[in-house]
Amino acid sequence: MLDWMSDNRAAIAAIVIFALAIMFISSIFIGKKQAKLSAKDAVFGDPERTKGGWYWSVCGISALLLVWFYFSWGVGRAYFPNAANEMCQVAKLEEAISPIKAALPLESRYYKSTTLVARNSDQLMQLQSQMPTAAFSQNEQTELYALISETRRLMANSSNPANLSLDAQDQLQVLAQDLVGLSTRLAAGPQGISPSAEALAQPRWGTTHIEIPMLPITERGVLFDTITLDAQELAARFVKIRNNPSQNDALIVDIKNRIDALKIVTTSGKFDEDVTTARKAYLKAVERIFKRLDDGIIFPAQSLEGINTAIATLDSAKNDARGQLGTIEALFFPGDGIVKSRTQCTEQGSGRWLPKPTDVVATFWKLASPNTEADGGFKGIPLFWWKWLPVGDVVAMIMPDWIADILPGEYARHAADGTVTPNFKDKVLALAQGDVNLGAVPMFDGHVWDSMFRVLVALGLGIMFGVPLGIYMGVSKFFKSFFDPLIELYRPVPPLAWAPLILTIFGIQDDGKIFLLFMVAFAIMVISARTGASGTQLSKIRASHSLGATNGQILRNVILPNALPEILTGIRIAIGVCWGTLVAAEMLAGTTGVGFIENVARTVSDYELIWVTILIMGILGLAFDLIMRWVITKTIPWRGKG
Amino acid sequence: MKQNLKAAILATASAAVMATASASYAADSVNAAFFLEWASPNQIAKVDKAYDDAMGVDVNWTDFSTGVQMTEAMLSGDIDISYSQGLAPFVTAIQQGAPLKMVAVAMMYEANDCFVKNGLGIDASNASELEGKTVAVPLNTMADFAFKSYMAHLDVDMSTMTIVDQAPADGAVSLADGSVDMACIFGGNSSKAAGEVGTPIMTSEQKVEAGIGSFDVVSVTEKFATENPDLLRTFLDVTDEANKAWAFTDAQLAKVAKDAGMSVEDTRSQMEGMIFLSEEDQKTKFFGPDGVAAGAAAALGVVFSDASDGTSIAKTIDASFLD
Repeated sequence: MLDWMSDNRAAIAAIVIFALAIMFISSIFIGKKQAKLSAKDAVFGDPERTKGGWYWSVCGISALLLVWFYFSWGVGRAYFPNAANEMCQVAKLEEAISPIKAALPLESRYYKSTTLVARNSDQLMQLQSQMPTAAFSQNEQTELYALISETRRLMANSSNPANLSLDAQDQLQVLAQDLVGLSTRLAAGPQGISPSAEALAQPRWGTTHIEIPMLPITERGVLFDTITLDAQELAARFVKIRNNPSQNDALIVDIKNRIDALKIVTTSGKFDEDVTTARKAYLKAVERIFKRLDDGIIFPAQSLEGINTAIATLDSAKNDARGQLGTIEALFFPGDGIVKSRTQCTEQGSGRWLPKPTDVVATFWKLASPNTEADGGFKGIPLFWWKWLPVGDVVAMIMPDWIADILPGEYARHAADGTVTPNFKDKVLALAQGDVNLGAVPMFDGHVWDSMFRVLVALGLGIMFGVPLGIYMGVSKFFKSFFDPLIELYRPVPPLAWAPLILTIFGIQDDGKIFLLFMVAFAIMVISARTGASGTQLSKIRASHSLGATNGQILRNVILPNALPEILTGIRIAIGVCWGTLVAAEMLAGTTGVGFIENVARTVSDYELIWVTILIMGILGLAFDLIMRWVITKTIPWRGKG
Repeated sequence: MKQNLKAAILATASAAVMATASASYAADSVNAAFFLEWASPNQIAKVDKAYDDAMGVDVNWTDFSTGVQMTEAMLSGDIDISYSQGLAPFVTAIQQGAPLKMVAVAMMYEANDCFVKNGLGIDASNASELEGKTVAVPLNTMADFAFKSYMAHLDVDMSTMTIVDQAPADGAVSLADGSVDMACIFGGNSSKAAGEVGTPIMTSEQKVEAGIGSFDVVSVTEKFATENPDLLRTFLDVTDEANKAWAFTDAQLAKVAKDAGMSVEDTRSQMEGMIFLSEEDQKTKFFGPDGVAAGAAAALGVVFSDASDGTSIAKTIDASFLD
């Protein structure tokens, strides 16, 4: 069942997207209609008016999901499941001709030769102006200036179309013709070629770790794929073509000899160390530019015109051959399309870092599977499941080891016959260390449970300590003035700043993580309880006092109920912040937990896993919040009506 | 006054236009990434602008703290060449479909150490006692790879251990506190701290004998490699020259130490543990038919993701720029 869903996720997505679109549109209609109905009798600002309105929730959620589907390319994959494969074939051709394109102004504005000429001229100019005149004699300076202008002549010779060798002219011309030939073949269309059986047997887009199947599965794809092979060969030929004008041959030998002569003088030992270094550095700089010019990669602009036109033709033939694929790409695949790298085709843009909703669900199911033997869960631990918890372990956690140490007597020693007979002291130690079988109870297990346990315990402790303290701070001068500076001092410090300290104090077990979350929850609870308590109307307190209430009764029956709305809002905020701090807390020493999964996924840039953890945390936070809202309506129905 | 202001604005604007105009045809500057506190001889070439001179373009160096960040910067197009990216982040990047290439080996060095808490009395000879113990490992890093290699070599059953994911600095603290029994660490300062309270599970000699080592790579974006093969070749040439000129002289060390942001002594000890291979050696030892590079990359690929067989990573290795 799951495998079937996984294999057909594109088709499932197509139905889901259609349903979402209908939900989105119909919820707007319903919403408008309802708004019209109640428009007359409602007063602006009346909190009662915000009740209900499920259709706007539907509208918001379906809009969010549609945006997600769209930008993750989920829509594109659902309705055009073969598009990625075709785009990959086009990208293959793109990659194959990229060495030729890199030399042309089509994408980089200038011919590569132009760039090289400009860059080298600039550098020669700089060399000329920066000559260390102190290090060279007058004659040598003249010689160097001459060398620099000779080097310039090398460039001039290479740039002159009249000097281009017949051989190179031939090669460029043939290449241009071959490129035009490719365009013609592209324009002619597939002409009965069909995808191979091997290609059709490939796993579909996104179902395995190979994101996009590489072999062409459509006729158009096969066309691009076959053309790519020839294009690769043409590109290899192109990068081998060199422009070595015969006029340069003698010049190169001459410049080389003259630089060598200057080098010999430099190393003859006539100069002191500083001068020698300066001379060497300068000569090296001159030689470097010279060496860059003697390998024949500068071509006359005119000579490349043919290739340039051929590539432009190929580009337009490519666009024609893509047909409606171009429109589909522009409409349904926001981002930079698909790029072919050496071994694979990958989605670029939002498609890369925003996984498709259906893929996220598939990853979630794999993660949620309790069968850790069959690759379920994460790092051998299920996401949310149950296990038998030995009661002995619980006892061991509560009972410290030193209880056994303070008992009278000695621990057992092994006897002469090689046996060990445990005495009472040993047995107590075994109990304290959890080595005694006391049966087992079923218990939740897994990453989500571990995270939830940490958050809930921290929150519980935060409420337990924070609420009484906050209320007393609201009613007592001593509590207020004594604790206010302490709490306000630590509250603004981000939890992550405490992390190194907590690691040293508490170690790597749960207590450190819980303490970190507790500190967050505690401050929020104190402040909300205090605000609630100090906001109690004086008239209510005076009234109860005059009716003979004791201090305790005032606290329990007047101040606490009045503070309750603030406290419950505080709990809502604290839950949210605790989930937010969880990733930091579980970074301290990661063994289990949702934050741990997130931290590991981040090191390998596994975006699907990252999104799954984000969603898990979001949904858990939402679930807790819904529970709290329910609690609020049940416990303080008087809120906002007092 | 107002007139002056207008003139000034006009002048600035036209200057800016001219600057961009002259820059546009010579716009190619190359952006390279490196690590602070990770010394290498080519930092001399970097400081002396030898790269800029030889390549004829501006080489902008940006420092990074992790190899994963280098990958992200290369993917966003901000970085063309990453010098000394760890093998681990490179391999995970390839597995995520990043269009990158390994073009050379930056340096070889001893595998990261796993420190056993002193007082446990565990070393390579009785390593099986580690079973059931707690280990701090920064997951999916070279230290993780080293840990797995040690355990495989020493025949220790990893499934019995509690593995805790901790950054090196945290791992060192936990080792000192005794909350973990072994910590696998990378980085100078953390290793020093862990060395105070622990002993490496395998000595340098044992590591060499077992063939456990690490190397950092020079990785580039595929786009840069296709469009500027000449620049890349020159970059590697200059690196090679710098490596060959390296002689541990005081002047050289001082220059590298300053650029790496470390003391001269630390720089010396760090660089003494590294081997900078010549281009020829790289070609024969690493990129030959049975080269180390492909094997190590494939092995790492399997370690980090069971789904891939690792062989596809070998295809992203391209030593042709070393010629």
